[in-house]
Amino acid sequence: MQAAVFGALGEPSRLQIVELLRRGPHGVGEIAEALGLRQPQVSKHLKVLDRLGIVDVEARARRRIYHLRAEPFDEIAHWVDSFEHLWEVRLDALGEHLRTHATDTTREDDQ
Amino acid sequence: MIQLLRRKKELSFERRYPASIEAVWRAWTGAEQLRSWWGPEKTTIPECEVDLRVGGRIRIVTEATEAMGKYQGTRWPMEGTFTLVEAPHRLSYDASSWTEGEQDTSTIRHTNDLELTETADGTLLTLRISITEIGPKAKMAAFGMKWGYKAQLDTLEQHLAAAGDGEVG
Repeated sequence: MQAAVFGALGEPSRLQIVELLRRGPHGVGEIAEALGLRQPQVSKHLKVLDRLGIVDVEARARRRIYHLRAEPFDEIAHWVDSFEHLWEVRLDALGEHLRTHATDTTREDDQ
Repeated sequence: MIQLLRRKKELSFERRYPASIEAVWRAWTGAEQLRSWWGPEKTTIPECEVDLRVGGRIRIVTEATEAMGKYQGTRWPMEGTFTLVEAPHRLSYDASSWTEGEQDTSTIRHTNDLELTETADGTLLTLRISITEIGPKAKMAAFGMKWGYKAQLDTLEQHLAAAGDGEVG
């Protein structure tokens, strides 16, 4: 899931679309105009984002309005948080190691 | 949200240790010392190799102990190549981490830059990790996402409580 989401957002136009949608829901035409892209191109990107659950579409009159879904971002944030916490714990352990090893280091050097 | 996401793909840590810069350098670059702190809890380090030179390999395998229940025996290798070795100040390596047997889906790629600076009362450590690629199943992989998240926080809290320091993350 995350890999696909990261992959999708690695494409600059798609990331721009997502950043535009952060400000609120937009139609395909509005997105194309705001980003200076062709409409079929935007539709193609939106299809990818839709398939990954990054955006949702809603029909309003004859327009299709796209908006962001929060879940994929929450998931990534959660994953990265836990990676960060692992490192916090590891660096604490390093501190502990350095404290308990302080007296041993001289001996180790001699080996 | 996106801004958060982009910022968070770059992790940065800063610690001060009341130890000499040489001691911190050795703890990071000596295989035997790495084994004793690399952790996390409830794991062992059955393999640890450090070929400390640019182009040399670092390989650390973390293995789940019985205390990790159904994960017992699961192995999480990390393998990388040193891109910069300037003892005792700077160390960089590009690495991949994965769950053994699920390399295709669980691999995480990351670059790691360690910088050590001598201070009046010890050593300032700065670590920058940039996550460049995450496999689809990575959240269940090496870093204990599923089992370890809670346990790690508990450990951190215990550690901080023991140190008489109330600041939790």
